[in-house]
Amino acid sequence: MKSKFLCIVIVLTVFFVLVGFSIAKAAEPYHLGVALGFTGTGTLYSKDQLEGIQVAVDEINAKGGFLGKHPIKIFHQDTQTKPDVAVRTVKDLILRDKVRAVVSEYSSACAVAVKPIAREYKVLHIAAISNSENITKIDYSPYTFQVVPNTYMQAKAAAYAVAQMAKKNNWKEYITLASDYEWGRSTQKEVIENLKKTAPFLKVKKELWPKLGETQFSSFITSMMGMKPDFVYACLASKDNVTFTEQAKPYGFFDKIPYVGSMQSVTELITEAKTLPRGLVAIARAPFFAHMDIPMMQNFVKNYRAKYSGKYPSDWAVMGYDAVYALKQGIEKAGTIDTEKVKDAMKGLTVDLTRGKLQFRPIDNQLRCSSYVGVVGDDPRYPFPILKDLIEIKAADSERPEAEIVAARQAEKK
Amino acid sequence: MEFTFIFSQFISGLTYGMMLFLVASGLSLIFGVMNILNFAHATLWLIGAYLCFTFWSLMQSYEVALWVSIPLAALATGAVGWISEVVLIKHIYKRELHEQLLITYAMALIFGDLIKITWGPTDRLIVRPPIIQKPIHLFGAPIDSYFIFVILIGFAVAIGLWCFLKFTKYGHIVKAAVFSREMVSALGIPIPKIYTWVFTMGIFIAGLAGGAQSAIGSVTLGMDMAIIIQAFCVVVIGGFGSLMGTLVGSLIVGEIFSFAILLWPDGAMVLIFVITAVILIVRPWGLFGTPLRA
Repeated sequence: MKSKFLCIVIVLTVFFVLVGFSIAKAAEPYHLGVALGFTGTGTLYSKDQLEGIQVAVDEINAKGGFLGKHPIKIFHQDTQTKPDVAVRTVKDLILRDKVRAVVSEYSSACAVAVKPIAREYKVLHIAAISNSENITKIDYSPYTFQVVPNTYMQAKAAAYAVAQMAKKNNWKEYITLASDYEWGRSTQKEVIENLKKTAPFLKVKKELWPKLGETQFSSFITSMMGMKPDFVYACLASKDNVTFTEQAKPYGFFDKIPYVGSMQSVTELITEAKTLPRGLVAIARAPFFAHMDIPMMQNFVKNYRAKYSGKYPSDWAVMGYDAVYALKQGIEKAGTIDTEKVKDAMKGLTVDLTRGKLQFRPIDNQLRCSSYVGVVGDDPRYPFPILKDLIEIKAADSERPEAEIVAARQAEKK
Repeated sequence: MEFTFIFSQFISGLTYGMMLFLVASGLSLIFGVMNILNFAHATLWLIGAYLCFTFWSLMQSYEVALWVSIPLAALATGAVGWISEVVLIKHIYKRELHEQLLITYAMALIFGDLIKITWGPTDRLIVRPPIIQKPIHLFGAPIDSYFIFVILIGFAVAIGLWCFLKFTKYGHIVKAAVFSREMVSALGIPIPKIYTWVFTMGIFIAGLAGGAQSAIGSVTLGMDMAIIIQAFCVVVIGGFGSLMGTLVGSLIVGEIFSFAILLWPDGAMVLIFVITAVILIVRPWGLFGTPLRA
């Protein structure tokens, strides 16, 4: 009798210990770090990205969290869009808040600075909107993933789209207008080289070099209008681009000459809805309206608008949302929130995102996502202009060949 | 080359030249009368642009907001100039030229930081009234309608300054002070007071130019450093202290730049610097200056 009682006590003790243990395990939250520049030049984009992340987290938490049992807890910090501050804040997130993954950053310089920290502490790092190719191309880290089309993909996509437009519109000659400094010169060179390959029939009519910080574009504007090119390809630094646009508008420049090259995310399309010239040929990273045929995008737009007073999600919000869902699918494949296993599971993984079924390229963890080129124009469905006649340039047509990445990494080692 | 194309480039050059004239005329006047090489001149021009944006922001619901904001910006910038003269410039009249340059350069940096603190790093953009959003066509050439206003302001300032110097008592005193401040002082005319008002007038014109510039494109940090070099080129070519020289120098720079873009785009700015260097070597007092102060 006594031994029977002892057996029951032992069984019950083991049972309660196991149940208690599993309850404790189920309650373990997933700490997700978000390090973004909420002050400084990236404020607007970062704020939008956090909103996209928040919507994804709300949706996943409504179903119990990752794997249905790990509710996500967001820890977000301001990097001030400065690399040194970004490093400090990410270390804080890792050491103090015990995050398992960090989503960062608006600035590519910050993302590059954060990468070795994530590798050192074996924490996942998802670069959701910073798009320097060097984040994944060189100094490879198995912990770093990129869900935004990188600089190479965007440049090649622009050339690809321009070539298509040139064929369609029978364009023959173009003028380049580039800021006269390192970035302007190198970008312009890359554009010309890409166009030589994609549209060899196009001829450069003139190369114009306004100085960086030019305040008076009138002579450039009238000269381009006088030379009547089929289009102008601009590589102007951001402030110069705004100045040029403002000065060219009163000439009716954009009504007469297709102007290619500026980046217009949904943020710009909304904030500059009244002043943005219609007819601009612009490039974008993840415009929601390009994928309203995908149920996941429809659902995201609906939930985002419901949460943020009817506001439409920008490209940055879309990519923030996708970053969380890519992580979710990595965790599901791994069957655990253990970072090492999730990292391995995400390598080469194909994920269902708002922008379609996309794969992380095994060689560099770059999401094989599309770039978008279209013409700024009004659409009765939206209270702001969108990119019309949209061309989606798939990763297969825009990503850097793997052999070049291997060569770049070998050169880096020497 | 078609006539309309050439005419269009000419008008662009004229506009560019007029904007340079508005910046450089105050610079030239201050140097001509007070012998002060004011490196902070363009930064005060930028303050004028930011002030114009602020006034416009406060009144933007009214059609006339821009037209009222420009003179208000000129007045407010003139006030800043007056304070600067009384507090700082007054104490450096007798300093060596290189010391003046260093002090006014420090002023430019201080004003630049004050601009950043006051208006922040974000670009500021004035939305033009609808009447000047569309181009007008002259001889078939499209012209930004606002530039007609800028050209008119430029000529108005040139004529106004000329009339002031030619027909008014104070104008005569200022002209006399250019040649011999000692003689003017000996006549019992308070030179310090004249200097204060000349400096204020120069900065008022800079503020007017800044106000006019603010509706041409976005107002951004660093614009001042881009234009000050060209303003110096203008006064070197035209001659320090010469109103006519500044006007002609501005038009030369504007037109050369405008047409060089067509023929030698890489060297448009280089050409202007080459001309400036040649003038400095061959005729250091400029095309219309006098060798008296050279």
